[in-house]
Amino acid sequence: MSNLDYFILIITAAMVAFIPRVIPLLYFSKRKIPVWFNEWMKYIPVALFTALIAKDVFVTSNYTYNAKNLIEIISTILVFLVAAKTKSMLVTVVVGLVAIMGLALIF
Amino acid sequence: MKVEDKNWFNVFKIALPLCISYIPIGLACGILLHSAGFNILFTGLLSIMVFSGGAQFLIASMLVIHAPLLQVLLMLFFLEMRYALLSASLSPFLKKEPVPFLIYFSSSMNDENYAINYLKFATDKKWNGHQAVMVNHFSLLFWTISNMVGSTVGNLIHFDVNLVNFTLTALFGYMLVMQIKNLLSILVASLSAILSVWLIIAMRSTMGLVVATLVSSFLGFLIEHGLEGRSNPLLLRSLRLRRRHEGFKDSPKETTDDHE
Repeated sequence: MSNLDYFILIITAAMVAFIPRVIPLLYFSKRKIPVWFNEWMKYIPVALFTALIAKDVFVTSNYTYNAKNLIEIISTILVFLVAAKTKSMLVTVVVGLVAIMGLALIF
Repeated sequence: MKVEDKNWFNVFKIALPLCISYIPIGLACGILLHSAGFNILFTGLLSIMVFSGGAQFLIASMLVIHAPLLQVLLMLFFLEMRYALLSASLSPFLKKEPVPFLIYFSSSMNDENYAINYLKFATDKKWNGHQAVMVNHFSLLFWTISNMVGSTVGNLIHFDVNLVNFTLTALFGYMLVMQIKNLLSILVASLSAILSVWLIIAMRSTMGLVVATLVSSFLGFLIEHGLEGRSNPLLLRSLRLRRRHEGFKDSPKETTDDHE
C-alpha cells in the first residue's frame, strides 16, 4: 500500500467512526424527546458494558465461540468482586490485569 | 464558559485510571499497526481521528491479511455502530450545549471515556460538558502517544494482545458493577450477555452487540414500566452497590433502615 492508500484509509475510517457518534447526539439533544425514550436509554450502559464484556470473554476475533476462556472467566469474576468491594477503577483494572497475567502463567 | 484553574487537575484525576490503562493497550495497538505498515505519523493520525481501540485493532488485523479497503470500512461501520448507542444515551445530559460543541465532543468520544462521563453525569450534578470533553481529551492524548510509542519501539517488546486487551474488559467490568442498582439491572445484564454472544456469533459481526444492547435495555425499560405503581417490588429494590449520591431521580425510594 502506498502512503496515499494509508491516508485515504485513515480519512474514510475516521468518517465511518465519526458519523455514528455525532448524528444521534445532535438529533436527540436538539429535539423534544418523549420520556419513555430517556427511560429506555437509562438501561443502555448496563446492557452495553455487559455485551462488551461477554464479547471479550466468550467470542473469538473470528466470531466463533471461545471455548478456551477459563482464565478470562475467573479474572472477570474477580474483577466484579473487586469493583463491588473497592469501588475503585484503578484497583479493579490493576487486579484484573495481574490476575489474567498470573493465570496465563499458571495454566 | 470559564474554566476554573484547578478544574483540569481534578478532571485529570478522574480520567487517570483510564489514561493508565490505555498505555499498555495503546502500545500493543501501535505494534500491530506498525506490522500492518503504518508509520509513526499515520499511527498518530489514525489514533486521533478514529480513536477507537477496537477499530484500530480491526484495521491492523485486516490489513495484515490484505483485505480490500471497502471490506475493512464495512466491518468498521458495523463495529462503530455501537457509538450511536453511547451518543444517544448521553444526549439527555448535553441538551443545553450548542451544536458546534456537540460535534466537537462527539469527535473524541469512545467506549471508555463515555463510561466515565456517563457515570459522572448520572451521579454528579455539577459535572458538565466541558469537564466531559476534558476526560475525552486526556484519554485521547494518552491513547495517541502510547500508539505512537508502540509503533516506534514496538519490535523490542513482546505483548500478548489478548491479555493486554483484558485491561479494557476489566474497565468495563468496573463500569458495569457501578451501574448495577437493583435486581432488574442484573437481569438486563444477564440477558444482554447471552443475547450478545449468540447474536455476534450468529450474525458474524459486532452488529449483534448493538442488537443485543438495544433489545435487552428495551426489555429492562418495559419491565420497569410494568412494575410501576407496585409498592417496593423485589426487582427494583436498591442493592447499594453504587457510590454515594444515587443520581437517578426516579430510583426507588430508599428507606433509612434497610441496612444489609
